[in-house]
Order: sequence, then C-alpha cells, then structure tokens
Amino acid sequence: MSAVLDHKPLLTHEIGSLDKPAWRVKAYAGQPLADREFDEASTWGQRLQVPEYQRLVELLHHAPFDKEKRSEIQRWSSLYALRLEESAGLDVVYDGEQQRTEMYDWAVSHTNGFERRGSVRAFDNKYYSKAAVVGPISLRAPFHNAEFSYLVSVADAELKVPVTGAYTIADWSFDERYDTATDLRGPAADRRRERKAARRDFVLEVARNMIRPNLMALIELGARWIQVDEPGASTEPDELDLFVDSFNASVEGLNAMFSTHLCFSDYNLFFPAIERMTHCRQFAVGFANYDSRELGTSDAARPGYQVIKKFRDLPDQPALGLGVLDIHSDFIESPELVRDRILYAVKVFGDPLRIHVTPDCGLRTRSWQVAYEKLRNMTAGVELARKDLGLTQPR
Amino acid sequence: MVAATRGLDRGRTEEDAVRAAFDQDLARWIEVQQAAGLDFFSDGLLSWQDLFRPLVEGLGPKPPEELVRWFDTNTFFRAPELSTVDQPRAFAATPMPAVPSPRVVTLPSPYTFSRAAHNATDRNRLMQELAERLLRPAMRTAVAAGAELIHLEEPWLTYDGIDDADWKPFAAAVASMTSGVGATIILHCYFGDAAPHLKRLMDLPVSGLGVDLVETDIAALEKGWADKSLLIGCLNGRSSVVEPLEATVELARHIADTVQPRDLYLSSNCELQYLPTGVAEQKVRRLGEVAHKAKELVPV
Repeated sequence: MSAVLDHKPLLTHEIGSLDKPAWRVKAYAGQPLADREFDEASTWGQRLQVPEYQRLVELLHHAPFDKEKRSEIQRWSSLYALRLEESAGLDVVYDGEQQRTEMYDWAVSHTNGFERRGSVRAFDNKYYSKAAVVGPISLRAPFHNAEFSYLVSVADAELKVPVTGAYTIADWSFDERYDTATDLRGPAADRRRERKAARRDFVLEVARNMIRPNLMALIELGARWIQVDEPGASTEPDELDLFVDSFNASVEGLNAMFSTHLCFSDYNLFFPAIERMTHCRQFAVGFANYDSRELGTSDAARPGYQVIKKFRDLPDQPALGLGVLDIHSDFIESPELVRDRILYAVKVFGDPLRIHVTPDCGLRTRSWQVAYEKLRNMTAGVELARKDLGLTQPR
Repeated sequence: MVAATRGLDRGRTEEDAVRAAFDQDLARWIEVQQAAGLDFFSDGLLSWQDLFRPLVEGLGPKPPEELVRWFDTNTFFRAPELSTVDQPRAFAATPMPAVPSPRVVTLPSPYTFSRAAHNATDRNRLMQELAERLLRPAMRTAVAAGAELIHLEEPWLTYDGIDDADWKPFAAAVASMTSGVGATIILHCYFGDAAPHLKRLMDLPVSGLGVDLVETDIAALEKGWADKSLLIGCLNGRSSVVEPLEATVELARHIADTVQPRDLYLSSNCELQYLPTGVAEQKVRRLGEVAHKAKELVPV
C-alpha cells in the first residue's frame, strides 16, 4: 500500500464481489438485450461518470459478440464496478470480480486437477458451482493477471486483489482423489483418521501448487495488497490449524501486504489458531449480520461485535477490517448506525489505525442500487466517526 | 430451478417461469426415485429454502434474517426468530399431489429446531411448544394427506451433543408430537456418531432411529432392535464418490443379520442437498440397486 493509506485511520474498502450487470451477463451469454439493459448501461455510466460510456452502449447494440467483443464488455463491466466503488468514496477498490465467473469456479476452472460437478445451494436461492479434485493440482496459467493489469491501467484509487484461499477451495470441492474410501464396514475412527490425513494433503497441495504461484504472478505485476478470501475457514472447527498452515504456505516469504477475509462463522473458533498467521496484516471480518440495527456504542447495543476484543488481542496487532454492512439484506444501514459500529470498535481497540471499515462480505447478492447506497452510507458513516473522534484526513 | 430462482431474485424472470421450472424439476425427481425402485417417495423439499423456513413463516416477531452455517457444511439457514409458539398452527406439510404413494415427509426434530432458533431464552420450553403446536399439527396434516413415513431430521444431537438435563424434555417433546400419529416415525440422527446416545434414543417414542454410518461404527449398533426400526445412512450425501454396489449391499446384509431390527430402512446418511443434482440422482439410483439386491439376500 501507499504510505498515506498505511497510516490512514478508518481506511475503507470493499471485500470483493459485486453483482454483474444484466447487460454484461446477457451479452456474455449471447442473449438478446432489452431496452432496460441499454438503459442500465447508460444510466450507471452517467451516474458514475464512466469516461466514454456511450461507447459501451453503442457496442451493446451490435450483437452477436465474438470473443474479443465479449472480453471488451467484461472490461467495461470492470470499469463500471471500479467507478462505483471509487464514486462511493472507498479508499481501496477492485472491480467487484466482474471478469471472474465466481470466486470458486474461476479459480478451479483455471487449474489442472479439477472437474466440474454442478451447482449446490449456499442459502436461500443462491447456489454455487462445485468441482471435484480428481488429479494432481497445478496452475494452468495465472488467473488474475489479465484483470489486474487492466485495473492498474484505469484505477484512480489504490487496489486490493481478492484471491480465494486454499482452505476454501478445498472445502468447497468434492474430493475424488485423496479421500475415496466408501466402505463403511470398518471402524469409524479409522475412517476419520484417514479423512483427516487426506484433507491435509489436499489443502496444502492447493496452497502450494495453485494459490502461491498465482500470488507470485500478481506480485510480479505489481500487486501490493492481496486479500486471501477464506469464507470456508471455520467450516470444520477442528481444522483451524490446517487453515492457518494453508495461509502460511500460500504467502510465506512473499513480498506484499496480505490480509484475509472471514465471514459467517462463530469467530470465537478462530482463536488461538490464527495467532500463528504472522504474515496477515489485516483480518476483514463480517459482523453486521449478527448485530442489532439500533444506535449505540455500548456492549449491549453492539451484540454482533463482542468478539472483536479477541482480534484486538492478537499478538502481532493486525488491523481489523470491520464488517459494518449486512450483505444478505437490502436494509440500508444509516451513516449513524455505521458510525456507532465504528466508534464501538475504536473504543475496544483504542486505536483507529487498527480499524478498517468494510461490508461484511462481497455485495454480489445485492443490486447495484442497494450496494451503492450501502457503500455511500458506509463512507458517510466513516466521516461521522472521524468527526466524533477528532481525526483529520491525512494529506 | 436454480436459474429461474436466480433470475427472479434479480428481476430477470417472472413467477410463472419459476413455477414451471419447479414443476419440471419435481417431475424429474419423482421419475428418478421411481426408476430407482424406491419404496417411499419424497418431494425432495425442492421448494424449501432451508429446513425451517416454510414452518416459521408468519411466526415470531419478525421473519428469519440471520444466516447461520448449517453445521460443518457450506450451506446456510436463516435462524428462526422465535422464542415461543403461542397457539397451535396448522402448517400444511402436505406432500405435493404429484408425489406418488407411499409418501415420506421430512420435518425437523424439535430438539434441532429449538437449538437452531435465534435468541430463544428457554430452549426446552420452546422445544415443547414447537413439538405440540407446530410439528404435531404438521405431522397430522401430512398423514391426512397420505404420508406414511415421517422422517424427523436430528443432526444437532449427534453433531453438538445434548446435556443430560435435556433428555427428559426432549423425550417429552417427542412423545407429545408422535402419540396417535398414524404413520411410521423415524428420528434420523446424522452428522455425528450416534453410538454414545443410542441407549437413550432407543427409549424415545418413535417407530425407529436413523444413524449416519459415515460417522457411526456398525459395531456400536449391537442388538436390542426387536421393537425398533433402524434406518441406516449407508450412502454419503456429502461425497461425490458413488459407493460401490457390492460393499454397500454387504453392509446392509451384515446389519440385517447381526442387528436384526424390526424393519431395516436404507437411505443416505444426510440430505442430498449438498450434492449437485446429477450426483444426487446417481446416489438415488445406487440406493435403489442396493435395496433391490439386499432384499434378495435378506428375508423381508
């Protein structure tokens, strides 16, 4: 990161994904676009002051799209998302993962050793694709280089690259390579032991042969902040050491700022295991989902944030990416609610430099309108908190 | 249905398209079960977003919101927002008319239900109320609509455990919902080892118990099942590897011979929702093959 941002209290950033605009989805899928999609491209282009957005609207009128045109439309989508985040006032941005299919699918479909198996429900009517590991894992080609190179060329704000972590990749995959035992006639304890050993081999192979080379390629291109996304990290409470080992195996000795994103878990489970993540300079964690919507900065008013004391006490004193927006709801948090969540965290930490402000997770399940309003209120809430704390903007 | 519901959420599809997709998927699911030769047919809870959602709609001070991980899976449920159930509620857990007979209906066990609820202060009281005022009417409605087998899902007990003091209220809750219900009722304990709880589970007033054989030793089942049915979860609903036919038949035969339950039911160890449709269908076909072959070897 830049020297200015390194020392900016209450630094703001998004976590990763944004919804893909309908014009991008339909154009990419070869479906006809309706007037509302042209309008959407036009309206958001105007609102976000995307330079020369009329060129996109013009391009969208010229279906069918060959491979080159589809790539161009994806880049437009990246640019729109980047401008949405910049326009909302975030300090550190990315492109809402517009060029990726999805955080898991994109990674495994660029890696040798996996085969797609189909979709599985995550929650409500949201599904994700699952693949199975079927052979030795190796990177086919670095899979974030193209998007990162493009974003470097167009971003005004600092960039943070979200990369799906090894544990989550393994946890969300079926295992048809390491753990294939199906005979249930033997002792269950033997099966558990074998399953555990197989899982360790799988996770660490993903870390070493898929994630690490991909990170190295990004750093080579100039990436300075890489966020290792691990929404699956606490799925198996007895595998937290394995999650930590996989993070360390992915980043150890590499020259960049590394952070990790954790969400929708009992965060108490992470302690003390994550004390060993000495290379992790920030933990971005979702809390708003568990919190009250009432104003206030007391313990009682902020039930979703009680666990942050444990993050405060981590020996290496990393920053906490404080999730203040519930990404599973269209409820728009007011700036005052965001402010109070921040003030509570600053009170607990005693140091606003260790508090960064973020949504709970990627906003891809919300519409752009909702995501934009939430993010704008988030940055407005940060301003209110700064004022309350007497903090001035670094120059 | 995946594409249709996603489209609906994003305003790109109409309700009609979702209904049509649901009907199509349900028809396909029934066809797969029939082709596999299963003995009971289910609607697969295809329209349920989680195990509690349709049951709690309209109950409690507000709709469920908080997303909570469903045990150690990557599937999440919205925790029911209720601490009490004031009045009996006739939720229609009615098997879809399209589902052929004999039908099985799946409901949450009151213990799991009460522990999954958000902010409940007295979970044992809530468990009793859920059993009496929500699950019992649901079971009666289901039976009136032709359900012959009620499958109660009980993962909490085997995954998280249960305090000694909670057994009595649990037994009372189960008794209050099952007495007089004219169907076979199986309490299926999964996502964990049932062995430490078997003795007390056997005393519960249900027709039978389900165990997850991925987590439970077959040696732990022992004997004493003359008055209880046993459901064995012999296909792993969380693994895409399809179990070999011969070994699984042998497993079923071995349990029939050694445990000698009143009736032996074969099933997956847990819901099949953690598998993509194609893999789930393969598992159902394998289940049918295993059952078919096992029936040839075991007197039924």
